[in-house]
Amino acid sequence: MKFVLICWLALCLPWALQGKEYHASLFGVKSDGITLNSRSIQKAVDFIQEKGGGTLVFSVGRYLTGSIRLKSNVMIELREGAVLVGASSPYDYISVGGVRALIVAEGEQNVGVFGKGVIDGQGKGLVASLTTQIQKGYLPEAISQASPALVAMKGCKSVTVTGLHLQDAAGSALSFTDCSQVALTDLWIKNQAVPNMRGLVQSNCVDLVATRVMNDLVASGKKP
Amino acid sequence: MKNTLIVLFSVIFGFSLTAKDFTVSDFGAKNDGFTINTSTIQKAIDFVHEQGGGRLIFETGSYVTGSIYLKSNVTLHLEQGATILGSTNPFDYIKDAKIGWMSMIFAVNQENIGITGKGTINGRGFLTAYNMVNYIHRGIYTDPLKYDRPNETNRPQNIYFRECKNIRIVDITLRDPGSWNQTYDQCQNLYVDHIYVDSKSYWNNDGIDIVDCDGVVIKNSYFDAADDVICFKSHSAEHMCQNVVVDNCVGRSSANGLKFGTVSRGGFKNFKITNLTIFDTFRSAITLAAVDGGEIENIVIDGVRSINTGNVIYLRLGDRWAKGKKPYMKNVTISNVYAEVPLTKPDAGYNYEGPVEDLPRNISPASIVGLVENKIQGVHLKNIQIVYPGEGNPLYAKRGLSAEELDGVPEMRDAYPEFSQFKELPAWAFYVRHAEGVSFENVTFTAKKKDYRPSVVLDDVKDVSFTGLVVHEPESVGKQQVFSHKTSQLIIK
Amino acid sequence: MTKNLLIVLFLTLFTGLTTYAEDYKASLFGIKSNGTTLNTTSIQKAIDYIHEKGGGRLVFYVGRYLTGNIQLKSNVTIHLEEGAILLGSTNIYDYNLAERFPSLISATKADHIALTGKGVIDGQGRDVAYQVSDQVQKGILKDALVNDRSALWRPKAIYFRECTNVDITGIVIKNAAEWVLVCDQCTYLKIDRITVDSKAFWNNDGIDIVDCQHVIISNSFIDSSDDAICFKSHDPTKMCDDVEVRNCVARSSASGIKFGTVTSGGYKNFKIINNKVYDTHRSAITIATPDGGVVENILVDSLYAYNVGNAIYLRIGARWNKGRVGSMSNIRIQNMYCEIAEGKADAGREYEGPIEDLPRNISPASIVGLPGQYISDVTLRNIHLVYPGNSNPAYAFRGLLPAELDSIPEMPAAYPEFSQFKELPAWGLYVRHAKNLTLENITFTAKLKEYRPALVFDDVLGGRLTGLRYEEPVKKKKQVHFYKTKDIIQTK
Repeated sequence: MKFVLICWLALCLPWALQGKEYHASLFGVKSDGITLNSRSIQKAVDFIQEKGGGTLVFSVGRYLTGSIRLKSNVMIELREGAVLVGASSPYDYISVGGVRALIVAEGEQNVGVFGKGVIDGQGKGLVASLTTQIQKGYLPEAISQASPALVAMKGCKSVTVTGLHLQDAAGSALSFTDCSQVALTDLWIKNQAVPNMRGLVQSNCVDLVATRVMNDLVASGKKP
Repeated sequence: MKNTLIVLFSVIFGFSLTAKDFTVSDFGAKNDGFTINTSTIQKAIDFVHEQGGGRLIFETGSYVTGSIYLKSNVTLHLEQGATILGSTNPFDYIKDAKIGWMSMIFAVNQENIGITGKGTINGRGFLTAYNMVNYIHRGIYTDPLKYDRPNETNRPQNIYFRECKNIRIVDITLRDPGSWNQTYDQCQNLYVDHIYVDSKSYWNNDGIDIVDCDGVVIKNSYFDAADDVICFKSHSAEHMCQNVVVDNCVGRSSANGLKFGTVSRGGFKNFKITNLTIFDTFRSAITLAAVDGGEIENIVIDGVRSINTGNVIYLRLGDRWAKGKKPYMKNVTISNVYAEVPLTKPDAGYNYEGPVEDLPRNISPASIVGLVENKIQGVHLKNIQIVYPGEGNPLYAKRGLSAEELDGVPEMRDAYPEFSQFKELPAWAFYVRHAEGVSFENVTFTAKKKDYRPSVVLDDVKDVSFTGLVVHEPESVGKQQVFSHKTSQLIIK
Repeated sequence: MTKNLLIVLFLTLFTGLTTYAEDYKASLFGIKSNGTTLNTTSIQKAIDYIHEKGGGRLVFYVGRYLTGNIQLKSNVTIHLEEGAILLGSTNIYDYNLAERFPSLISATKADHIALTGKGVIDGQGRDVAYQVSDQVQKGILKDALVNDRSALWRPKAIYFRECTNVDITGIVIKNAAEWVLVCDQCTYLKIDRITVDSKAFWNNDGIDIVDCQHVIISNSFIDSSDDAICFKSHDPTKMCDDVEVRNCVARSSASGIKFGTVTSGGYKNFKIINNKVYDTHRSAITIATPDGGVVENILVDSLYAYNVGNAIYLRIGARWNKGRVGSMSNIRIQNMYCEIAEGKADAGREYEGPIEDLPRNISPASIVGLPGQYISDVTLRNIHLVYPGNSNPAYAFRGLLPAELDSIPEMPAAYPEFSQFKELPAWGLYVRHAKNLTLENITFTAKLKEYRPALVFDDVLGGRLTGLRYEEPVKKKKQVHFYKTKDIIQTK
C-alpha cells in the first residue's frame, strides 16, 4: 500500500507559486517521530531565506521539533499526513512577545504555514512537564504564560495560515500580536489537550481575516 | 614551579566543598539515548549557576545533546554508566563566534567549573562528521572539503573551554569527538586527573589540547588518539603555556605522544613531565617544536617508556608563521628514557592510521634541529637507552658524510615540523644540527642489525659532550659511531 | 516399469536427503562475525560453492555478519542459528541496484531454497534509506523523491523471483528499507513460524506474495508500518492461486491482511483461517482490485480484529487496468469478530499511518464496486462488529437523501482505501454496486449513539439478509436504508 497517491492531490495546490520548493530531507530532517529536528529545520528556514525565499515541504511523516523561527519569504508546507510534532520539553521552546510557540516569527513578512497536514502540540505531555518544572521552582513563570502555542507571531506582515489541522497545543493554537494582513483560512483547530485553551488569540492586529476556521475546543478532551 | 603547585592544590580542594547537587533528569532531560536534550541541559546549567553553583548530576543512561555552555561554579557530574552522547546532527552544534570552533561542551570566561565522575562523554564524531560532509556536498554548508573532509573547525570537539579559571576534569571517559577532543584555551588552573580518552573516530582526533594555559596538572590518565596525544599549543603571541605538570600518563597515537606545537606563537615554559608511557605511535614520543616564533624554556622530562614508536625525540626550531618574532629553545632536560623503534609502521591497522609516506627513507634517528642563526641551547640527555632496528640500506636511501652531503640536508625552515621531514638523515640514532651546549650522559644506542650510517652525527654544534656513550651494532667493530661536522668543543669521555 | 519408477523415486529421495543434510560452517569461507567486516563476496562464494557441490546448508552461528546483496542458489539453505544476525550493509552501493527490485537476499529461478533457524536478518533499513535519500539529494542516484523519499532504490530484505519449493521457517526478518519479504511468481512456498518486524521506514510491508501459487503462510507474527500480509499481482497474465494463511497475528499502520494494491492478474482460491489483527490503522482485511484483476473464491474464516480503523473493505476500482475489467466474486467471510478503534489505532508508532485530512466520522465496513461492475456473491456470516459510535453530524455529515447518496464520489481511479470517500452514510456496513449479497447472523454494535443507520445499500441487486441484530443505545431507529436496491429478501 502506498501513501503516495493521496498526496498527489496536495501537489496540485496553487501554493506552488510561492517560489522554489525544498524537501525537508535535503536538510537531513527525519520523519521518524523521535529525532528532534529543531536545528535542522531552522537551518532549512535560514538557508531558504538566504536563497531568496521559497517553501519548505514536509511530506507524510512525523517530524518532532522544538521552536522554529520563521523568516521572511519562507513558507512551510505540511502535505497531507505530515505532522509537525511539538517537543515535550518546555526548554525546547522560545517566545516572541512573551508567547512561547512551536513556530514563531517576529518582524517578518510574507510568511506562512499551509497544507493539509497537522501541527500537533502534544500539549498534555508538555503541560505535565511544565507543571513539574514550575513546582520544582526551575521555571519562574505561571503556567498560563509558559505554555507554548502552536504558532505565535509578532509584528509580522502578510501572514497566511491555511488548510491545516491545529491540534493539542499546551497554550492557545494561534497567537498574533501587532500583525497586519493576516489570512487564516480553512483551519480546523482542535485544541483539546488542555481545558479552556483558546484557538486564536490576537491583539492589535490590522486586517486579520479568518475564513472557515473551525474551532473545536471541548474542555473535557473527549471526542465529540 | 612551587607556586604553581600551591595554586593547583587550592583548586583541587577549593570548590569541592561548596557543591550542592541537582539532578538533570529533574529538569526533564531524558536518558533514552535518542531524545535531544540540548535546551533542557542548558536550562539546568543556567539554573544551577543562578542558584550559586553546585553539581549537575547525570544518572545512569544516555543523554543526547548538541552544544551547551557550562557556567561558573557548575560541575557536570557523570555517574558511572551515564553517557553524554553528542547529537549526530551537525546543526545541533554551535560554532562559537569568539572561539571559531564547534564543540559539544563550551565554557567561555567562567570559573570554578568541572566535569567529573566515572561516566562518559561520547561525541559520536564519525557520524556527525559524515553528516556534515553530506550537507557540504549539497551546498547547505560551506566548506572547501580539503582532503575530502570538513575543516576541523566545522566538526564538533567534545570540550572547548576558553579563558576559564579553576577547572577540574576528573575520572571521566572522553570518546569519539568529531575534531579535536578537549581544548583548554587561555585557561588558568586546570586540573585533569584519571581521565580515559578514546579519540580515534575521525581525523584530527587529538587526546587533549592545552593552548596558552597557565597552571596545568594532567595526571594518571590514559589516551588513545588518532592525532597527537597530549598536545600543548600557543595560538597567541601574547600568551604561552606555562607551569605545567604531566605525571603518570599513558598514550597511543597515530601522530605524536607528547607534543609542543604545531601552532607555537607565544611559547612553552616551566614544564615538568614525569613517568610518561607512549606505545604504538606513528610519529615521535616527544616532539618539542617552536616554528611560529614561540619560546621554549625550562622543560624537564623524566621517565619515558616509548615502545613501538616511530621516533623517540624530536626537538625543532623553525620559521613558519613567526612574523619576525624570534623563537628559541633552551634548557631542556630529558632523562631516564627507554625506547624501542620498530622497522614497520607502528600504528598500522588503526582506523585513522598516520599517512603512509612517500618514501624512501631508512629509519630516522632522534633529532635536535635548530636554525642556522638561532641555535637550540642547553639540551641535557641523561640515562637514555634507545633500541633501533638498524638495517639502514644505502641502496634504498642514502645520506653520506661528505661535507656536501651533510650541508645538503635541507633546512626546511618553514615546513611543518615532523621527525621525517628531511627524509634520509645521515645517522641512525641521533642527529644534532644548529645547537649549542648539548650533553649526553650515560647513553646507550642499540641497532639490532647493521646500519650503513654512524649512530650520531653532529653538524654545526658548539659545546657538546658525551659521558658514558655505549653503542651496540652488529658487525661494526672499529666503526666510527660519532661523526662531527662544523662542530667545536666536542668532548667524548 | 513400476519397479523402475520406485527405484527412481527412491534415488531422488535419497540424494535429496543427503544433499540437505550437508552442513557448511560460515567460517569455512572466511566469513567474519565481527559486525564490521563486509562479507558479501565470502557469503556469495559459500553459496556458489554449496550449490555446485549439489546443495546443503550454510550455517551461521552466533555473531553479527555484515553483508550486501547475496544471491541464493538452488538447493542451498541459509541456516541462522540462534544469536546469528545477518546484517544488511548501510551502504546502498552494496546492493544489486541493477535489478528492478534491489534486496539483501535475492534468488531468481532457483529450486529448493530455504532460510531457516532461529536467527535474525536485519536490513538496517533506516540507515540505508537515509543514505539513499542523501545520494538522491546529491544527484548521484536519480529518483523522483515522491513524498520526499526514494521510490526506486531502497532495498528489500528478501526478494525471491520465479523460485520453486521455497521454505522460510523460524527466522526473524526485520528492518528493511522497504518491503521486508517478497516472493514474486514463486510456486510451492512455505512460510512458517517466522517473525517479521518491518517498522524501520516507510512502505515497510510485512510479507508480500506476488503472483504465487501453492502458498502456505502459518504460525507467524507480522508487525509492519505498511500492510502486514499482502497479496499482489504485478503481471496481468499471472495471479495468486491456492493460498492459505493460517494462525497468524498481524499489526500494521496500514491494513492487516490486504489484497492489492497492484492487482493486474488477480487472486483466487484463498483460505484465510484463524488469524488475528490488532492496533491497525486501516482495515483488518482489504480486498481490492483497482487494476483490472480478477478476484474469486476467497474464504476468510475466524478472523479476530481488535483496535483497528476498519473491519472489512472490498473494492473494485479502475486505476491502471488498461482495458481489463476487474471483478470480484464468491467472497465468504465468516466467524469474524472485530472491534473498531475510537481514535487512531496505531497512534504513537514511529511510522504511523498518515493523519488524514478530515473530517469523517468512524467509517463502516464497506463493499464498493463500480457502476456496472458489481461485486458479486459475497457472503458474510456469523460476524460481530463493534463500533464506538458517537458520530457527530455537525462534524461531518452524509444524509440519506438520493442527492446525498448519489454525491458519494465513485473514485474509480483513486487509491483504494476504506476512508477514501470520507463521510459515509452508514455506521455498520455500506454496500454499493453489489449483487447476490448474503448477510447471515451478523451483529452490529455501536457503543454510543449514531446519527446514521447501521446499513446502507445503494445499487444492490439481489440479497438475502438473515439474523441481523443492531445494538445501539437508542430506542427506535430504522437501521437499514435501501436505495436503488432490489430483490432483497429479509428474514429474522
